[in-house]
Amino acid sequence: MNSVVLPVIIPLLTAIAALIMGKPSLARRILVIAASTVQVAVAIRLGVLCWNDGPRAMPIGGWSAALGIILVVDLLSTVMLTLSSIIVLAGEIYGFYELPARFEHPLRIPLIQFLMLGINLAFCTGDLFNLFVAFEVTLMASYALLTLEADNWDIKQAFPYVTINILASTLLLAAAGMCYSLFGTLNFAHIARTAAMHAGDPRLQIIAMLFLVVFSMKAGLFPFYYWLPHSYPTLPTPVAALFSGVLTNVGIYVLLRLFCTVLPHDMQFAHSVLMWLSGMTMLLGVIGAISRNYIRGILSFHKLSQVGFMTLAIGFFTPASITAAIFYIIHYIIVKSSLFLIGGVGACLNRTDNLASMGGLWRNAPFIGILFLCQGLSLAGLPPLSGFWGKYLIVVAGIRKEEFILVGITIVASVLTLLSMLKIWQAAFWGEPEGSVVHREDRRWPRLAGVAAVLAIVSLSIGFGAEGFIRLSQKAADAALDRNRYIEVVTTVQGKDGEAH
Amino acid sequence: MQWESSILAGVLFGVAVWLVLHRSFVRIIFGFILMSHAVNLLILLSSGDPGGKHAPIINGPMPFVDPLPQALILTAIVIGFGVIAYMAVLLYRLFLDFRASSTTQLYREEPAEREKSK
Repeated sequence: MNSVVLPVIIPLLTAIAALIMGKPSLARRILVIAASTVQVAVAIRLGVLCWNDGPRAMPIGGWSAALGIILVVDLLSTVMLTLSSIIVLAGEIYGFYELPARFEHPLRIPLIQFLMLGINLAFCTGDLFNLFVAFEVTLMASYALLTLEADNWDIKQAFPYVTINILASTLLLAAAGMCYSLFGTLNFAHIARTAAMHAGDPRLQIIAMLFLVVFSMKAGLFPFYYWLPHSYPTLPTPVAALFSGVLTNVGIYVLLRLFCTVLPHDMQFAHSVLMWLSGMTMLLGVIGAISRNYIRGILSFHKLSQVGFMTLAIGFFTPASITAAIFYIIHYIIVKSSLFLIGGVGACLNRTDNLASMGGLWRNAPFIGILFLCQGLSLAGLPPLSGFWGKYLIVVAGIRKEEFILVGITIVASVLTLLSMLKIWQAAFWGEPEGSVVHREDRRWPRLAGVAAVLAIVSLSIGFGAEGFIRLSQKAADAALDRNRYIEVVTTVQGKDGEAH
Repeated sequence: MQWESSILAGVLFGVAVWLVLHRSFVRIIFGFILMSHAVNLLILLSSGDPGGKHAPIINGPMPFVDPLPQALILTAIVIGFGVIAYMAVLLYRLFLDFRASSTTQLYREEPAEREKSK
């Protein structure tokens, strides 16, 4: 069996097995951990294969590209696959340590695996409508996860989340319909092949703007991000780490894939709109982060501004800036998920998430403090941590493109990010207000901290081994921008109807 | 046929957006249902003018209607149905928890909270 389809099949089978097993038990947990580890291994193996040989394609059902759906995996896809499977594994292990098996909600693991299925399908697909289906699977699982363990107040926040995402899905369908009427096909490679012919066509601009709007809604760009900072803080910590690390990542991946591989490279208007929306997002996101009083709220708003960094790099649209975007994604996902987990450990120790009642963590649990320092300063961009390299690459790409205002906004947003990290540091770690109690006798926290520490070590290695990861990002960016190679791989797939198209 | 259908899709979409912007939950759900109808009609339009073309049957008369958008619409209808079903249950749960059947009732402040914030 061609291994391109494995990232899609493994979560499906795991979810079905977990559903059949019913009650949460040690056996089910072991099965899920084993399956997630296999997932990470498959993603890394696909990455090595793509590094050596270039993109790989697999026709679903055996039909060639003109008739059927092709799954295409190139280095960009495998980087995303690896990152998301690592985060899912970390989130699951954290969730298992946080609650014993009898308290776990029986549907949480199957839903996480279905979420994985949708995300992996979105990363692997080479067809626009299949992308829509993958997004719907992902969103359905996320709607369910959002409301699964929500108490009465939190469920209010699900309402804007669901409505805005339904609107985005409707617009994606409209864009897919228009794409079909303009190009006659929904396959990425065929659209890339014929898009050059429609270069000056205003309909192409309309489709590009529609895609931009839809995936800005999903990724969380200004002015479509309203649903994000209110809904993510209501999630339990491992699920919040999952959502923030993986779900918005899909939106950014699709922006990369569509603008680099599918659409022509000279869409100035769409790129400049993307740049300026990202600039607004960076600034407003971080100002929102400073205003919040509980850890998950601050981190959710942060996510918005970091997404702005990544899409700014996509908007600059030079090979160096796409490299910067991919490196930033690699750095950001690990750091953001580990920050959520560290915040969760802090909340576990203080029994609350609210900064006003937290305190004394540095004196009682300095290990958490060190982890938070490493990850928080990495997010703010201190050398030699990974955030510095990411921001440096973006700033250099911006200066080369002579977009000085946006580079200035980047620097201001980074300083404000540091300010919001300091807010958490002051309140939770250094401060010791009257009512705060640190429950050191809670036996869970060393194990939870261990999970966060593993992610922090990965992030530190990204920072210290930055050259290797930048080379990886460069190769991934070249693979994404190399449309001819992509088209060639898809059109030479041998289908059972005999011909290659 | 194309002109009338596109005008219809536009009218449906406009009515749907108008309904979604209402307060009452029932009108919001109907708005989303209409929105999915509108966008499905839009996909159907992309198959081109069906005038003078025959049904897509193998070895049948030759110029036939493009069957692919119809397959896309089928998938989209089913997905939309699932999402609307979820949304209906979510709004029902909001009704059970908050006794709210409109967004103003959902986001209203209790008088006690207003006292506290003074």
